[in-house]
Amino acid sequence: MIDKVMKDLEIRFPLLQLVREQHNYLHVKVDKASAIDAVLMAKTSLGFKTLQLISTVDRLEENRFQMTWILENYGTTSILLISADFPREDCIVPSLSDIWPAASAFEREIFEMFGVSFPGNPREGEDFLLEGWKDIPPMRRDFDSEEYSMRVFGERQPREHTDPRQYIGDIVGEWNTPMGAKRARKEKK
Amino acid sequence: MYCNQRPEKPGNKIEVFEKITNMARANSLWVTAYGTGCGAIELRPLHTSRFDMERFGIAMRPTPRQADVLIISGYLATKTLKRVIRVYEQIQDPKYIVALGSCTINGGMYFDSYNTLNVLDKYLPVDVYVMGCMPRPEAIIDGFSLLMRKIKDGRAQGWKHYKENLDYYRENQKKIITDWDLPDYNW
Amino acid sequence: MSNIISIVVTIAASLIWGLLLGGISRTVTARIHGRMGPRVTQNFIDVWKLFRKKTSIHHGGMFWMAPMFRITGAICVLLMVPIVIGNSVTWNMSFAGDVFLLIYIMFFGCLGMALGAGNSGHPYAVIAVSRGLAQMSSYELSFSIAVVAIAVGLHTFRIEGIVAAQQAGISSWNIFRFPFASAGALLAFLPMQMAYPFGIVLAPQEIPIGPPTEYSSRFLSLMFSGRALFGVAKLVLFVSLLFGGASSWLSLFVKTFLLYMYPVVVSSVFPRFRTEQSIRFLWFVPTTLALVDLVRVML
Repeated sequence: MIDKVMKDLEIRFPLLQLVREQHNYLHVKVDKASAIDAVLMAKTSLGFKTLQLISTVDRLEENRFQMTWILENYGTTSILLISADFPREDCIVPSLSDIWPAASAFEREIFEMFGVSFPGNPREGEDFLLEGWKDIPPMRRDFDSEEYSMRVFGERQPREHTDPRQYIGDIVGEWNTPMGAKRARKEKK
Repeated sequence: MYCNQRPEKPGNKIEVFEKITNMARANSLWVTAYGTGCGAIELRPLHTSRFDMERFGIAMRPTPRQADVLIISGYLATKTLKRVIRVYEQIQDPKYIVALGSCTINGGMYFDSYNTLNVLDKYLPVDVYVMGCMPRPEAIIDGFSLLMRKIKDGRAQGWKHYKENLDYYRENQKKIITDWDLPDYNW
Repeated sequence: MSNIISIVVTIAASLIWGLLLGGISRTVTARIHGRMGPRVTQNFIDVWKLFRKKTSIHHGGMFWMAPMFRITGAICVLLMVPIVIGNSVTWNMSFAGDVFLLIYIMFFGCLGMALGAGNSGHPYAVIAVSRGLAQMSSYELSFSIAVVAIAVGLHTFRIEGIVAAQQAGISSWNIFRFPFASAGALLAFLPMQMAYPFGIVLAPQEIPIGPPTEYSSRFLSLMFSGRALFGVAKLVLFVSLLFGGASSWLSLFVKTFLLYMYPVVVSSVFPRFRTEQSIRFLWFVPTTLALVDLVRVML
C-alpha cells in the first residue's frame, strides 16, 4: 500500500525528501508551492481522508517555518506526513478549512501561537486560547517566555535553601501529628 | 441593582450567634465543582469510599450560587482567571479559597510560562494553601481541616479582605487580563 | 390557644423529624457505598449555615414565592392528615372530601416550585421543570386512582374515615385489603421522593441539580426545610392511607422511618431511567395496578 503511495507521489511532485519511518508510516517533504496540492491529492486519490493534525515548527536559525499536515487512512491504517518549508516573515499558508472543517481550529491555533496566517479560513483571527494577546506570538522562538512572565506576572520569590524543614517544619509539627497539634495548642495558651 | 455598586461593608454581628454559625460553617463546606488545572484530578478520589470527604460535611455543588469554597486546583492561566473571578464573585458571603499545589504559591514548574500566573494571592484572597505538586488527597483533607479550624476561630476572613481592598485586587487583575470585559462590581 | 400551640408543635416536630430523616438517609446511602457518611445532624448544620449566608441574588416575584408555596403546601397537608389518632387539631380540620384537597395541595407545592425555578431563567432549571411536570402528571394519575380505589372501597372520601376503617388489627390495613392499589401508590411514592430510578428531575449527570440551580443562601435554606416538611407530610399521608394510621407518636415515628427508608434503599442500588422510560413505566405499571383494584371495588 505505502509503496503505491510513494510511487504516486513521486510521479506527480518533486519530492525533496522521502522517509519511510515504519511499514505504514511515510514522511514526505515537498516544496511550498506544491504542498497544498499534495495534501489534496492524498485525500482525493490516495484515500487519506482524515486530517489528524496541522503542526508548525519554528526553525529560527534557518529562518523558516516547517508546516506539517498529518493525514491518516483508516482503511489501511497508514499515516502520511506531508511537510513543507515556508519563509518566516509574513508567512502565508492556504487554508484547508473548506476541505476539512476541523482544520479551522488547528489553523486558528497556529495563527495565534506562531503568527502564520491562513487566508480563506472564515474564523481566522478569532480568539482561540489567548484572549487579548498583545505581544509577539508566544510559540515563536524569539519570544522570551521567562522575561515576559517576570514582566507581567511579577517576580516570584525563589527559595534560598532546598531543605524542606526550613519551610514546612513548623507546620508539620503543628498540624500533621496528633501530639504536635496538642503541643501547639498548649503553647498558644 | 446589585451589579453596579461597590460592595457594602458587612455590618456588626452578634458575637454568640456568629460563633455558633462559624461552627456550622466549618462543618458544612460546600465546594464549587470547578477545576482549573491538573489538581482537579486529585479532588475526585475525595468523593470515593477511601477518602470520603462527606464525613466532614464537605459536598460538591455544581453552581457557585450555593457554594462556600472555591478550590483553585493547580496552575491558573490568565484566560481561566477571568472565569475564576466571575465564579468567585458570584459565591455568596462568606466564601473561602483553597489553593492547591506549588503553582498557586509561586508559579511552580510553570514559573516561566507566558500565560500562567505566578502568585495567586495578588489576584484573589487565598485562605489556605496546600503544598505539593500535586497534593495527594490526604494533603487536601489536611488543608480542609486547617480551613475548618480557621473558620471556627473566625480567622478565615479573605472575603472581607477582598471587599475592603477591591481596588488593589482589581488593579492587579486588570494588569494581566488585557481584554477586561467583566462587570466591575459583580455580586 | 391550645390549638395554635399544638399546630406549632406539630410543624416544628415535623421539621426536625424531616431533617433528621434526611441525615439518616444520607448516612445509610453512604454505608451502602462503603463510606463513613456525614453526621446524622448534617442537614441541620446545612440549613443553619445557609440561613446565615448573605442573600443578594434574586430573580423576581415567583422566585421569592416558590419556597413559600412548598412550605404552605406541606403545612396544609400536615394539618389535614390525622397525624396521630385523636390529635385534636388535625381531627377538627378534617371534613368530607378532604382526600381530593390533599391530592391537589400536594400538586400545588410542586407547581409553585416549578414556577419559581422557571422564573430563575436558568436553562437547566427549565429543563428539569419540564421533566418534573411530565413525570408528575404520570405518577399523580396512578396515585389518584389508587386513592380513589381505596376511598370507594371504604365508602368514604374523608381521610379520617379511611384511618378509622383500618383500626381492626393489622389485617384491616389498606395495604392488605387493597394490595394492587397499594402497590401502585407505593410505586408512585418513588418518583414523589425523587428516588432513583425515577430521579430525572435532579439528574446530577446531565442537569447538575435541576430546579434549584439559581437558588442560594436563604432561599435554599427555606427550600431544604420545605423539602423536609413536605417529605414528612407525604409520609404521614401514606401511613394514614395504607398503613393504618398511627395510634401513638412512637408508632408514627417507626412507621414513617420504615417507609422513608424504602425509597432510600431502592434509590442507592438502581441506576437512573431516561425521561421517556420513566414516564412510560409510570403510565403503564402503577396505573394498571391501581386500576385493577378500582375495577375490583366497582364490581
